[in-house]
Amino acid sequence: MIGITMFFVALVMLLIGFPVAFIFGGVALWFGVYAEGPDMFAFMPFRIQSIMENTVLMAVPLFVFMGIVLQKTRLAEQLLESMGKLFGGVRGGLAISTVLVGALLAASTGVVGASVVAMGLISLPVMLKYNYDKKLACGTICASGTLGQIIPPSIILIILGDVMGIPVGDLFQAAILPGAILIGAYVIYILIYTLVKPEAAPALPMDPNDGTRKQQIFKALKAIIPPLALILVVLGSIFAGIATPTESSALGGVGALFLALIYGQFSWRMVFDSAAETVKVTAMVFAILLGATAFSMAFSYTGGEEVVEHYLSNLPGGAMGFLLLSMLAILILGFFIDFVEISFIIVPILLPAAEILGIAPLWFAILIAMNLQTSFLTPPFGFSLFYLKGVAPPQVRTLDIYKGVVPFIILQVMIVISILLFPELYGLV
Amino acid sequence: PAQAAEKVYKLKLAETWPTNFGVFSEPARRMADLANKMSNGRIEIRIDTANKHKSAFGVFDMVRAGQYDMGHSASYYWKGKVPNTLYFTTMPFGMTATEQYGWFYYGGGMELMQKVYEPFNLLSFPGGNTGVQMGGWFQKEINSVDDLQGLKMRIPGFAGEVLAKLGANPTNIPPGELYTSLERNTIDALEWVGPSMDLRMGFHKIAPYYYTGWHEPGTELQFLVNKRTFEKLPGDLQEILKAAMRVAAYDMTIKSHHESGENWAAMKAEFPNVQVKSFPDEVIRALRQANDELLAEHAAQDELAKEILDSQDSYLKTVRQWTDIADRAYLNSFE
Amino acid sequence: MFLLRLEQTINAFSDWLGKISAVLFVLMLFNVFYDVITRYLFNNVSIGMQELEWHLFAAMFMLGVPFTLKAGGHVRVDLIYEGLSVKKKALIDLFGTLTLLFPFCLLVAWYGVDFARESFELGESSGDPGGLPYRWIIKAVIPFAFFCTFISGVGMMLRSINTLNGHHRSDDYIPTQH
Ligand code: NA
Ligand code: NA
Repeated sequence: MIGITMFFVALVMLLIGFPVAFIFGGVALWFGVYAEGPDMFAFMPFRIQSIMENTVLMAVPLFVFMGIVLQKTRLAEQLLESMGKLFGGVRGGLAISTVLVGALLAASTGVVGASVVAMGLISLPVMLKYNYDKKLACGTICASGTLGQIIPPSIILIILGDVMGIPVGDLFQAAILPGAILIGAYVIYILIYTLVKPEAAPALPMDPNDGTRKQQIFKALKAIIPPLALILVVLGSIFAGIATPTESSALGGVGALFLALIYGQFSWRMVFDSAAETVKVTAMVFAILLGATAFSMAFSYTGGEEVVEHYLSNLPGGAMGFLLLSMLAILILGFFIDFVEISFIIVPILLPAAEILGIAPLWFAILIAMNLQTSFLTPPFGFSLFYLKGVAPPQVRTLDIYKGVVPFIILQVMIVISILLFPELYGLV
Repeated sequence: PAQAAEKVYKLKLAETWPTNFGVFSEPARRMADLANKMSNGRIEIRIDTANKHKSAFGVFDMVRAGQYDMGHSASYYWKGKVPNTLYFTTMPFGMTATEQYGWFYYGGGMELMQKVYEPFNLLSFPGGNTGVQMGGWFQKEINSVDDLQGLKMRIPGFAGEVLAKLGANPTNIPPGELYTSLERNTIDALEWVGPSMDLRMGFHKIAPYYYTGWHEPGTELQFLVNKRTFEKLPGDLQEILKAAMRVAAYDMTIKSHHESGENWAAMKAEFPNVQVKSFPDEVIRALRQANDELLAEHAAQDELAKEILDSQDSYLKTVRQWTDIADRAYLNSFE
Repeated sequence: MFLLRLEQTINAFSDWLGKISAVLFVLMLFNVFYDVITRYLFNNVSIGMQELEWHLFAAMFMLGVPFTLKAGGHVRVDLIYEGLSVKKKALIDLFGTLTLLFPFCLLVAWYGVDFARESFELGESSGDPGGLPYRWIIKAVIPFAFFCTFISGVGMMLRSINTLNGHHRSDDYIPTQH
């Protein structure tokens, strides 16, 4: 029960506004020391070392750097503005462009922190500049930045494949359609939303000097090509076997510098300033990971896991009942525990029952993956929300982010339900 | 005395493996269960997987410092900390599982292993054998030593060193990115474990060649025990613990063979296109020579290393003669 | 004012860590780039260079934490915080540093020292062919970075005290800017 109490104390403490990372760490410390004595913290260096050695996480600073350089050279702004203009009079063009760029980033990394932060740097300022509703802007960024979880390559899918004994390739393939539908759902939602509330996402003003529509399109394409080519190089380097997904983000960083050079904006000062900002954002993300590892340590060493296990091993119901309840359980646990814990600890508890009920493993795995993706977005502990807050300008409040993300969570839940009801449409059974 | 006999010893064990790691997860659990039953409940062992302690390769330090009383891992993981721990798991072109057990228990292996571990307040015991591990998945055929030139392969540890000597490039790739890297030819080959573990990684779908093993002929896992903790146990419990570890190790060895057999049959039936290959004689000879040269270097640098390697070498020379006219002759009679 | 000067000194120290981290990042970026290029174009792999990637990466983000603390970059939930007066914010920061940040950083730093020392005594190195020696250096980054975060936290505490004493105005508050 200590784990549950600790969770609620942390929740209340978060509200006072001290940095999130140290609330996690500090609360874990008091509860851990109270329950088990200070020696529990002798485990911390080991846990920290495994974060330090987790080279997949290198994608975070590398993508952040790419984002900052693209932002400093105004190339990102041009990309999004031009894409927005391509949509012509369509309102919400910037938001839709954001979703599409997010989808491209998602296809090159599975690290959520990397794409949320990069998207926050690239597209939040632009959307705010054009008077987008803050909530819509934040929701769009968090949701599209989190796409990396379901769109392969994805860490969740790799871990689930391992835990559930499904070949990773099968999972990657099965995730493509649900991922694409999710992207489509975001776009449709934005279109509908801007229809209902036109002032939330104004269409980009057309400059009369831009000439005919044809000329405008040509101009827009010219501005889109360099940064888009950069993102495609990142993706292409993975598919061509030049780089691993993590390494591809370094190609993105160096490529961004190369673009700056072409556009005459390169200077070592700019490189150093971008690096310093990258450090700040990266340290923000990793401080949360450091605090969270202390928190999950205190949670599991004081018996929190056993409590959860106990409740989960007794789920009632037939196949549909079991699926509904287990999805609900994972969604709720997503508030408390991170997806790696859920995959390794919760999924094995559910697996035997799923097997007995004859639930196709692929179907079950995709459901879990979609569900875990949602857990990154759910307030108050969704990591994507913290990450975006960390890079947002001061006028964006935590509450804007919380409110903005709700419709996207509902969209995700709806898609999870559709996979639950019509797995054959997704080719999962 | 009646009261003293009631005292319950609660021990904590850290595994290198994550939760539900197939046959690797069994020895610790079987050992804990046996020890508990044989001691009539006087030994209670709590097992934490790597998902709990988050430090797969911190097991050595954690058991040494007493944060955990026991560990279940593999000796060669500690090569970077204590070079001589390398020799107690398996060696390229070394002994098979049965031969190696003979060396451990009757050929002086256990004594040498304790000699390596005791200075670090640790005891080490055999912890179950995987049997021969496969040589790995390859995107291209290896027909000559030249084909090894520049071969980018994920193969950690000493075996990587042997390959590097022949011009191959051992490459670090995080496990989460292995699949994409092999699929896209970012690397040319990788080694994992064998049918039991490889199937779920899906490598058979993206690489045509599955090479037979040479580098891990009998991978022995290990139980680590904090020496001070062990010495504090009453004599009967010490013996019970040792017996439980030995039975659990034996059981995993059998189970590995059983599971690999079943998995391989299933894999062959489901994916008939997987091509099993063995390195040609020329390549094997070159690998052996590279291996011998490297081991000679090890022996020249460290006295204890020389003692261990000499012991293994002379034991193998003796016992292999019997393996040849027994197991090998028998198996050959089927061809 | 001794306290003000001490705060400034500590802030300068934190900024200096930030500069080191920025340099480490640039090195890491080109390290990864170099490794990709040499592997793909020249079919050449160095395990040592590959390991250097995560050494630089880890040192960069660990030393970045104290810098980011000083720079106000760590995320806060501002549902309530944001509407508070400067003095109330200072009180929260004072309370937080004393009860949460200090004990957490000091305890981890304390255990981190043993962690690094054991690695030093063993002469630990990488277990892979061509890997890096002196593993204790990167392990020592853990206690060092946590101790630096404690120092940077002292800066934050002094800042709160100085603010409560009326030495900082509200426009001194530096919001995170990117
Ligand atoms: Na992805
Ligand atoms: Na292996």
